[in-house]
Amino acid sequence: MMNAVKFSDESLKRFDEIVGRYPKKEAAMLPVLRLAQGEFGYLSAAAIEYVAAIMGVPAARVYGVVTFYTMLNMKPIGRHHIQVCRTLPCALAGAERITAAIRSKLGIRVGETTADGKFTLSEVECLASCGTAPMMQVNDDYYENLNEQSVGEILDKLK
Amino acid sequence: MEKILLRNVGAPDSHTIGVYRSRGGYGALEKVLREMSPERLIGEIKASGLRGRGGAGFPTGMKWGFVPKDNPKPKYVVCNADESEPGTFKDRLLIEKDPHAIVEGTIIAAYAIQSHTAFIYIRGEFSFGAKVLERAIDEATAAGYLGKNILGSGYDIDLILHRGAGAYICGEETGLLSSLEGGKGWPKVKPPFPATHGLFGCPTVVNNVETLASLPWIVEQGAARYTAIGTEKSKGTKLFSVSGHIKNPGVYEVDMGYPFKKFLEEDCGGVPNGKKLKGVIPGGASMPVLRPDELDGITMDYESFQAAGTLLGSGGVIVMDESTCMVRAAWNISRFFEHESCGQCSPCREGCHWMEKIFRRIERGEGKEGDLDLILSVSGNIMGNTICPFGDAAAMPAAAFIKKYRDEFDQHILQQRCTVSAS
Amino acid sequence: MADPVKITIDGREVATTKGKTVIQAAADAGIAIPHYCYHPKLTIAGNCRMCLVEIEKMPKLQISCNTLVTEGMAVKTESPKVLEARRAVMEFLLINHPLDCPICDQAGECWLQDYYMKHDLSASRFDERKEHERKREIFGPYVVFDGERCIKCTRCVRFLQEVTHTDELTVVNRGDDSTIALFPGEILDNPLSVNVVDICPVGALTDRDFRFKVRVWYLRKTPSICPGCSTGCNISLETYQNRVARFKPRVNEAVNSHWLCDEGRYSFHALTEGERLTTPMIRQEGGLVPTDWDTALEAAIAGLGANGPLLGVLSGRNTNEEAFLFARLMKKISSQTALEVFYRERELTEVEKVLKSPDRSPNFRGARDMGVHSNGGFDSLAGRLVAGNFRGAYIVGEDLINLPGDGEKIQTALEKLSFLVVQDTRLTPTAKLAHVVLPATHFGEKEGTYTNRRGRVQKLNPGIVPPLGALQDWEIFSRLLARAVEKVAYSTAAEIFSALAREIPAYGGLSYGKIGDQGFQLGNETQQP
Repeated sequence: MMNAVKFSDESLKRFDEIVGRYPKKEAAMLPVLRLAQGEFGYLSAAAIEYVAAIMGVPAARVYGVVTFYTMLNMKPIGRHHIQVCRTLPCALAGAERITAAIRSKLGIRVGETTADGKFTLSEVECLASCGTAPMMQVNDDYYENLNEQSVGEILDKLK
Repeated sequence: MEKILLRNVGAPDSHTIGVYRSRGGYGALEKVLREMSPERLIGEIKASGLRGRGGAGFPTGMKWGFVPKDNPKPKYVVCNADESEPGTFKDRLLIEKDPHAIVEGTIIAAYAIQSHTAFIYIRGEFSFGAKVLERAIDEATAAGYLGKNILGSGYDIDLILHRGAGAYICGEETGLLSSLEGGKGWPKVKPPFPATHGLFGCPTVVNNVETLASLPWIVEQGAARYTAIGTEKSKGTKLFSVSGHIKNPGVYEVDMGYPFKKFLEEDCGGVPNGKKLKGVIPGGASMPVLRPDELDGITMDYESFQAAGTLLGSGGVIVMDESTCMVRAAWNISRFFEHESCGQCSPCREGCHWMEKIFRRIERGEGKEGDLDLILSVSGNIMGNTICPFGDAAAMPAAAFIKKYRDEFDQHILQQRCTVSAS
Repeated sequence: MADPVKITIDGREVATTKGKTVIQAAADAGIAIPHYCYHPKLTIAGNCRMCLVEIEKMPKLQISCNTLVTEGMAVKTESPKVLEARRAVMEFLLINHPLDCPICDQAGECWLQDYYMKHDLSASRFDERKEHERKREIFGPYVVFDGERCIKCTRCVRFLQEVTHTDELTVVNRGDDSTIALFPGEILDNPLSVNVVDICPVGALTDRDFRFKVRVWYLRKTPSICPGCSTGCNISLETYQNRVARFKPRVNEAVNSHWLCDEGRYSFHALTEGERLTTPMIRQEGGLVPTDWDTALEAAIAGLGANGPLLGVLSGRNTNEEAFLFARLMKKISSQTALEVFYRERELTEVEKVLKSPDRSPNFRGARDMGVHSNGGFDSLAGRLVAGNFRGAYIVGEDLINLPGDGEKIQTALEKLSFLVVQDTRLTPTAKLAHVVLPATHFGEKEGTYTNRRGRVQKLNPGIVPPLGALQDWEIFSRLLARAVEKVAYSTAAEIFSALAREIPAYGGLSYGKIGDQGFQLGNETQQP
């Protein structure tokens, strides 16, 4: 199992670049974890151990870091990670209706992934898009000024 | 009103170096390198009265002045682009539309403390913003504004874009530094302070995006022109992010001291759909809410908001109309802080969790007599007793909602349901 | 020297020095400010907020663990504001903490319980369901974790980062979900692992070896010295119903600071458990048979006297007092006597080196100071035994034929001896070869002194009463001496110490009083050998 978790040559090159940018190696922890998550899909215990080894820090410390940040996942997630903002400005603009629309469209609850592995639905805290509420982020992209209809159309377009 | 921060935002392709330079961009940096010593630069910024725009409002020049000159360790400047305060989205606008102003401002700050490595810590979710900034850094490097011996001045400066990974607490400056060091975003106990023991234990200045983006204009136009704008103690302009039940949400640049009520009603178009205003949070979710009857006479500056029992904070204005259930709003905010508490110190870790549970049960119609006083007591026990300002940020809004809408909370508990129909 | 600073604490003037924190200055002055996360040997975490105090001219309460003293500072540790903050912190910490002290193993030495009582807390105002966390999670061979009792002070995490540098534990998740955890699949197993139990202020980390054996308030605590190796870690020897229940480290900054290694901590099992010898034995046709002390001692003296050259091996766990008499005795019995204290070294890992010495002979240095030594050391002497250089031997407290490597050769050599006396607590394989077996006592039953590797003389105190029939080693030697030559009879270890202090120059002028609870450093603070 352990042998399966290893950066590709391309990622290794990228790793060297990232680490080389910082005055101290450990400062590169978050970008390296993001690189690992990008390559391995999620940060399994084996992936964390691998990152710890190449970063030269104890695995437990990396484990603590991974569990601290919401964008680092220790479990597999869907191809499209739908993150609906639930914080006050979005809530005032009807964020709950957006979440409800997504739930009924995809047939999953918050925190779940569709059976085909395509979508994971999460509720998240403020994404600094309050003036264009309600909004959601799908993977890297923001979708703003949503309504129940537009959110359905957006999901339909995602492959 | 003069546009200082949003001066480039409307221009087509404002994020490119060509457009930025065509509008005078990097002139300030050239001026600094050509004719200003670090001491003079710090003096100029002190004279401008510029105060930190991240929320605390600490004078920027003074903050720089705390960095020891004779310390042999490397010095660092970090641009805090971890904008996460609910209701605040002004930095995101600057990042996406005027990244070079941030880059230029960061270089100027670095020069002021003679730092040779600077960082922009951008929240992880800002994927697009990170791309824009990355490109801006590349362009600035290619143009000779970053790197070795910039513009032939003999001054070296490296700027590294660093992305977070999802944690509000990394907006707190020592939490940010812990995160940038590769760890959890745990705020550090103070003293020592970052000015002497910051990133990797070295002297460090952390400035907010908006603060840094103000610098090029101030340097170019001079402190005197900046101090001509604003009030006696709050100088210059400030960005306000306006959201919630408001006709024209968005980011506004306002002269310090502008009447708040006029701003809401005229500049932002007031509460839409014929509804009445019920409450406004003026400085992001961590600041105490204001009732409509408290707005008279408030001007948009640090002192006036403070006198009104709230704070300017990040300038995140959240407007709530009469249909808003204040119990639900308070619970929403308490849930935010419960979710974002780093968990390090006892009062915050346990108190945020406790307050959220009480707000939730009240909201669900399961509240009990004494619950409101219990929240007030718990929030009082958090206030001032935590490692970082997060504790206060969680405690203040909780207490303010109850104190200012006590009747509604009482009714919600008594009738075991929301008494504000439309929510 | 550090600059003197004067501050007042609760109105009392306290003289301290620059660089100290308020909590340290207070502790030095005998004022205990309640705290959980602060530990004098770990970095400041400042997370529990229990040590908040009021400082004049400061608007907010300050944590005393991270506030440096300044001249004229006025500190209040018991003001209404401080008491209220402390009460609030207690309430926060008890939100998810079960109130089941009657079934908690930490009860009696739990800081949460102590402060709870002291601050007279009323019923909890937290009426939601408590979060149920991981219970009884096995962290390693000796340590078990109870997540519900944990207050996240991170002392354990910091210890493993800063002292052992093994980093097994971390805090995972955030906010109220924060918890202490091992990396998946890892265990907490390093040579100092159980120190996390000692520093855990609550019942979150407990000692699997000690857990539920006895309520701590029934323990009798005797200050003593760990018999594990020649570091001489100071311990509290904790006993119950005349058995050793556990060792706890006793603070001594000159020796072990606050720590104790796992091997030393559990060394009492091997040294004190098992069936004890309670009667002297003597070899007759057909084997060893019980006898009385007079007969056994007479036989020993006669046999040793008639069978030179003599070998005398003393255990590294024998005290200075015993070594002093042993050396004298053996030299009186035969002019051809070779003496040595048992000593063997082994390789230590980096983590072991934090505390451990490479031997298992806590008093080898003291025994040599007393004259129990020969040229070439123990291994050379063992070689001479194997080569058949001796006709008689007196072996005290060491089961030599169980020595890894050399056991077999030594057994053959011992079998060839004309006369062998073995003095031990148990009928060991070596004792079974003896002509005379003398039942003795172990470290936990003795009064006396050890001199550690660095030359610190430290005091052992008895926490256990020896079984009827066994004698203190010094008493056996004293009786033999009386029979052999002298008319001296010592009735206490202290008397012997006075005698050795007169005779051994390095120990001149020393007394038990001078050694005290923290030991006395001899002039020559060098590592031996």
